[in-house]
Amino acid sequence: MNRIVIGRYIPGNSFLYRMDPRTKLIAMILLMVGVFLIQSFLHMFVALALVTLILVFGRLSVKRVYLGLRPLVFLLMFTFLFQVLFNRQGELLYSLALHYTILNLSLAFMVVLLWGFTKRFIRFRLLYFLGAVVGIFALLHSISFGVVLGEGTFAVYEQGLSTAFFIMVRLIIIITLSTILTITTKPTDLNLGLESILRPLRVLRINAEEIAMIIAISLRYIPTLLEEANKIMLAQASRGVDFQEGKLKDKVIQVVSLLVPMFIISFQRSDDLANAMEARSFVPGQERTRLHILRWSKLDTVALACTSLALAGVVLLRVVGW
Amino acid sequence: MAIKFERVSFQYRGVDDKGYLALADINLSIAAQGEFITLIGETGSGKSTLAQHMNALLAPTEGRVHIFGVKLTSDKKKNRKQRLNPIRQRVGLVFQFPEYQLFEETVLKDIIFGPKNFGVPHEEALERAKKMIQIVGLDESYLERSPFNLSGGEKKRVSIAGILAMEPEILILDEPTSGLDPMGRNALLKVFYDIHEKLGKTVMIITHDMDTVYEYAKRVLVLREGALVYDGEPPGLFSRKHVEDWNLELPEILRIQRALEERFGIRLEKNPTSRKELIEALGEVVM
Ligand SMILES: Nc1ncnc2c1ncn2[C@@H]1O[C@H](COP(=O)(O)OP(=O)(O)O)[C@@H](O)[C@H]1O
Ligand SMILES: [Mg+2]
Repeated sequence: MNRIVIGRYIPGNSFLYRMDPRTKLIAMILLMVGVFLIQSFLHMFVALALVTLILVFGRLSVKRVYLGLRPLVFLLMFTFLFQVLFNRQGELLYSLALHYTILNLSLAFMVVLLWGFTKRFIRFRLLYFLGAVVGIFALLHSISFGVVLGEGTFAVYEQGLSTAFFIMVRLIIIITLSTILTITTKPTDLNLGLESILRPLRVLRINAEEIAMIIAISLRYIPTLLEEANKIMLAQASRGVDFQEGKLKDKVIQVVSLLVPMFIISFQRSDDLANAMEARSFVPGQERTRLHILRWSKLDTVALACTSLALAGVVLLRVVGW
Repeated sequence: MAIKFERVSFQYRGVDDKGYLALADINLSIAAQGEFITLIGETGSGKSTLAQHMNALLAPTEGRVHIFGVKLTSDKKKNRKQRLNPIRQRVGLVFQFPEYQLFEETVLKDIIFGPKNFGVPHEEALERAKKMIQIVGLDESYLERSPFNLSGGEKKRVSIAGILAMEPEILILDEPTSGLDPMGRNALLKVFYDIHEKLGKTVMIITHDMDTVYEYAKRVLVLREGALVYDGEPPGLFSRKHVEDWNLELPEILRIQRALEERFGIRLEKNPTSRKELIEALGEVVM
């Protein structure tokens, strides 16, 4: 649990830490837009390399940031598989006839069961999962005798594969960029930055200060809530809840025994926080003076110029159509 | 020995990869029966972490912990292959904060939650709940109430009842009396002492209250910055050297006894450990 780095500030010292939060926010948005505009594999790899360079020069551990992405691996895999399986545009790259018979469907079901039971003893779970998926497809392809219930094809199309690739890399880059932002920016600074960026929204009668405060508080409480969840799990394990095993019915109770205390504790915390803020005369929407004042430096100008250039470059490439 | 620690160290890992050494090189054994132990130490000295090792919630990052024949090491895979759940029934651990475990609609359901997880039949679990709620000093009408509308002290009692209802062989309580009024505190301590005396069970209490240590405990463990610096009888703990080195507060009885000695030159024959014994000893001197 403690390995999750999303939303957490980790003290350090590099140019990323010295930059103004406004710069970091704007630069992040510019880069994200850029990443969405990129359309060629080569440029995508360049973008990925650049983000990694930012990590390296910002003296952040590349390994740690990517390890922090691990909880999202399943989400990424799922989007990838979804695209590969269901996007049927472009050239057909590969196809595999599938036969659904009683025999191979039940065999496939057994593979799933086997996978479910043995996965906890396996070191490389992701590989094991992929192996199981491949195994099921092989089964469905190769066994065709017995009562055939239906036929199908597993087909990979060029477009499906490339869309899947782009979506995945985009997600990775976006998550990495936002992780860089939260790792290197103190929640209070982030709050200030957001607020001053959102200030123009005042014209639309949207209170930037409140939005910034809400976002900052949510980010601040992610790690705390994870810690609480961990403690609750230990306390319930003490009363015989086995979070690693159990039938479906047990699983429901396990989740309830975790979620109810989570909710209660969160409400309590937010109540305490609200009281603490009020005790210090915080009034939403009221004009406040600042202890920290954001200062723009040369570094910020340079950083913003670089990211703007990068975005302009991407736009140009897109217009020229490379 | 029911629980045995061999050169146990434990490191919490944080995001910054450094880790925090919460337990350092601990050797310790605890018998399955007949012990009454208090564990003391400053906040953050690792008491809760140590307690969580005793029912296999945490496994050491170095060294070995043996609990009722199950061996835990830093090898996560091997640890997972063993059935750890039964250990948690045999070594009952009451957590420091009851908010982390109460979740059912009624106190009754919450108390029988533990026993039912360990396969106790519904009827018997109900019986136990009725018995335990009284033992912890609340009456049966509480069983139908929602655990969330209780005061802090009442929540604490309910969470204790929930563990007692599991009928563990060894009972470990993490600061069970913090936040209780003195009367309630003494009554609860009496309950734990009875469990130890009458049923012969081993009980370990984590506390900051030196009077508890001096009056009840037969053995006291002291943690300082993750290291076990004292493991022995309470009177030895309160020698001048230790009191100064470890910033201990003296128990009330000992303070009175020392004041008597210094101001009035009254030396008591025996070392009293409770008010009653103190008064008797004083009586003998005065008569
Ligand atoms: N889940 C955790 N992650 C990281 N550090 C922790 C965690 N729990 C406790 N610690 C740290 O370990 C040390 C010992 O904690 P704990 O055992 O709770 O102490 P005690 O119960 O004696 O107050 C403390 O410094 C605490 O900050
Ligand atoms: Mg503690």
